[in-house]
Amino acid sequence: MDFSLSDEQVLLRDSAERFVREEYKLDARRRLVAAGDPISAEHWRQYAELGWLALPIPEDVGGLGGSFVDLMVLMVALGSGCVLEPYIPNLVLCAPILDRSPARSLLGAVADGSLRLALAHDEAGDRFNLAGPRTTQATAAGDGFLLTGAKTLVLGGPSADRFIVSATITGEPACSLFLVHRDQVEDQVEQALSRYPLIDGTWAADLSLSVEVSADALIVRSDRATALLDEAIDRATLAYLAEAVGSMETCLEICSAYLKIRKQFGQAIGKFQALQHILAEMFVEAQEARSILYQALSQIGADASLRRRAVSAAKIVIGQASQIISRQGVQLHGGYGVTDEYPISHHFKRLMVIEKLFGDIEHHTTRFAGTAPGLQAPDSSPAA
Amino acid sequence: MQLEFDAFHQAFREEIRAFVRENLPPEMARRQKQLSFPGNRSDILEWMRILHRRRWSVPNWPVEYGGTNWTPLQHFIFERESQEADAPGLFRGGTHMVGPVIYTFGSEDQKSKFLPAIREGRFSWAQGFSEPGAGSDLSSLRTTALLRGDRYVVNGQKIWTSGAHLSAWGYFLVRTDTDVKPQNGVSLLLIDLATPGITIRQIPQIDGDAHLCEVFLENVEVPAENLVGKEGAGWTYGKFLLDNERTFSSFIYWNIRELRKAKEIAQRETMDGTPLAQLPTFRARLAQAEARVLALEWSVLRVLAQEARPHKLSVIASALKLRGSELQQLITELQVDLLGARSLRFYAPSETEQLQSPDDAFWPDYVPGKTGIALITRAASIYGGSRQVQRNLIAKHAFGL
Ligand SMILES: Cc1cc2nc3c(=O)[nH]c(=O)nc-3n(C[C@H](O)[C@H](O)[C@H](O)COP(=O)(O)OP(=O)(O)OC[C@H]3O[C@@H](n4cnc5c(N)ncnc54)[C@H](O)[C@@H]3O)c2cc1C
Repeated sequence: MDFSLSDEQVLLRDSAERFVREEYKLDARRRLVAAGDPISAEHWRQYAELGWLALPIPEDVGGLGGSFVDLMVLMVALGSGCVLEPYIPNLVLCAPILDRSPARSLLGAVADGSLRLALAHDEAGDRFNLAGPRTTQATAAGDGFLLTGAKTLVLGGPSADRFIVSATITGEPACSLFLVHRDQVEDQVEQALSRYPLIDGTWAADLSLSVEVSADALIVRSDRATALLDEAIDRATLAYLAEAVGSMETCLEICSAYLKIRKQFGQAIGKFQALQHILAEMFVEAQEARSILYQALSQIGADASLRRRAVSAAKIVIGQASQIISRQGVQLHGGYGVTDEYPISHHFKRLMVIEKLFGDIEHHTTRFAGTAPGLQAPDSSPAA
Repeated sequence: MQLEFDAFHQAFREEIRAFVRENLPPEMARRQKQLSFPGNRSDILEWMRILHRRRWSVPNWPVEYGGTNWTPLQHFIFERESQEADAPGLFRGGTHMVGPVIYTFGSEDQKSKFLPAIREGRFSWAQGFSEPGAGSDLSSLRTTALLRGDRYVVNGQKIWTSGAHLSAWGYFLVRTDTDVKPQNGVSLLLIDLATPGITIRQIPQIDGDAHLCEVFLENVEVPAENLVGKEGAGWTYGKFLLDNERTFSSFIYWNIRELRKAKEIAQRETMDGTPLAQLPTFRARLAQAEARVLALEWSVLRVLAQEARPHKLSVIASALKLRGSELQQLITELQVDLLGARSLRFYAPSETEQLQSPDDAFWPDYVPGKTGIALITRAASIYGGSRQVQRNLIAKHAFGL
């Protein structure tokens, strides 16, 4: 085993850390959030220029063909700045689905920043059961399909040019995936796209669909769609967890610096043992978080049951660590911790979002228990 | 031991219930239910006016000032039933903080000027104690008030002054003598917030609201008659004032109500068609929270019934504050967990007050506001003596460590 980064990975990390230093100072982040734009076009251009949009995309369609570890190196670094761009929805969730579809030639446009995607999958009543059947229907219409239904929490939806929409073709047991132009969606229903910010300043949308699409909009048929989605969601989940690790490690830096400068009772509050112990406890959590991240990375290419088990374990450990670190981080700051004017509250909310996306601790605990030796219900198979 | 409410208190409970049922405007209850914290200021004052008509707006005051003769248990019942029905609380900054200080230590002029205003819910008050450099260590506060003829000239800065932007008056701890030991030179001054030289800045908060304020005071002239009691006794009055919140700082009534809301969410949110309240994990978490809340409620009752105890009351108060704030956080975070990913949507404070549909497929009425409350409730273990400070106090005063 060797946990050191390659030279290229060091360069990648350094470029991302520089970006965070230059573009994501607290004031700049607050201005971006206040501006209310679902994306900074300028930042997205920089992502393209720096090669980050090309990173996970295969070389034959204009990408760099980077590995998942490369991706993780980038995400940890971006996590330290609580960046707002919808990188994961585009590059980790959607790009691999496109890659395994007839539409993969579009990936070049994703890599150069001229095309943005979003996955429209969540529906009412889902509660993290993202493998369940979809109520959005695809019925035959002319040569193509009529898609009708409603989607929620479409991450990066407000800035997407096309949506990958999951819908059930009449008579089929599982959903299929369709690639739909934003204009098509918006032309056919008034206020088809309702956008809103999440608590961390990133954006999502609800889609109300009643849209006719041509036959070639069907990019992944039901026989493959669920497994492909499952994999894409696991990979996106892990990418978010890498971001969380970067965020948590930054929380430690922020807090240790604060304990040294903040004075009460005539001394730096870092002199109080009660606070030293809190910081030490946070340190232990951050250590464990990085360890479980590496564990999951080692399994991300494995077969579905091993991958799911590894991602769920990471979600549990990192989720719990992030709660301890963010909550104690605010506590250490006193009143300043609950203001928007100190970075700790920004990390707090980013970590809260990551804990809940694609299954919270609770959900992944159940999923993990279903695969942990000695914990399976008598009648369940490990892959279930 | 007698472990039940007697007939008198049971009858009183019915009386309160009937009053609230007949007098609480439904819109106000709805807003209160959706909003919870810190509550809509104008609703609180309006509710004070409604209570005033029944002479219940300052129940903790002596009868001569418009209060009641209620037993501690009657106060408990009043608070609990009010919260149960989603009524706004009393305006405690007036009723429990500055009011009692004024009728105990204030001048006759101050009593006749301010007590009726508090009683009738005419305006709200801000508490100007904390400063940027004086948080947990309040005694290091530096805002000065120097006597020049018949006025004090006040200079300095306060922070975390909740609701200052909505308040007409504030009660401030200021340094009137800079030559003595830190605790001794502090006085309590009532300041009209419209006085020239005062600038108020709202601080943007973690939840998107901006209720906390900074108050800058620059050569603010305050009539000397606004000094409460004696110069240099501010520390004593400040302590007296905070002592009035002994059991309330457990937020027991609030905890009971928020737990009820959590259970409502658990009935309405489903997984694969099953209400979350039926899932083993959430059932267990809700049940454990409820057991904790029950224990806290009985801890409060023990104080209210004046149980003989081996410890100072202040030590018990610290325990109530510690456990109460933990539960506030645990329960609001449970609400967020019940909402799942729906909890992630940001609602601006103005949106959380708007009427929402109970049937919206994605965003039913119980969604807006919950996450914001969970976020700002991180402050429950910070204000009014932080978690660490309370623990220090217990170690010191209960065990002499
Ligand atoms: C929502 C909210 C409302 C408020 N409302 C008001 C108001 O209306 N009026 C008003 O005057 N004030 C108000 N406050 C201020 C509040 O009382 C202070 O925030 C509190 O006293 C803590 O001070 P601080 O924020 O400066 O934190 P600090 O004192 O700087 O504390 C920072 C950290 O150090 C820890 N710490 C400090 N001393 C010790 C010690 N001796 N041992 C171990 N740990 C220690 C604390 O626990 C905390 O974790 C409010 C605060 C909040 C958050």
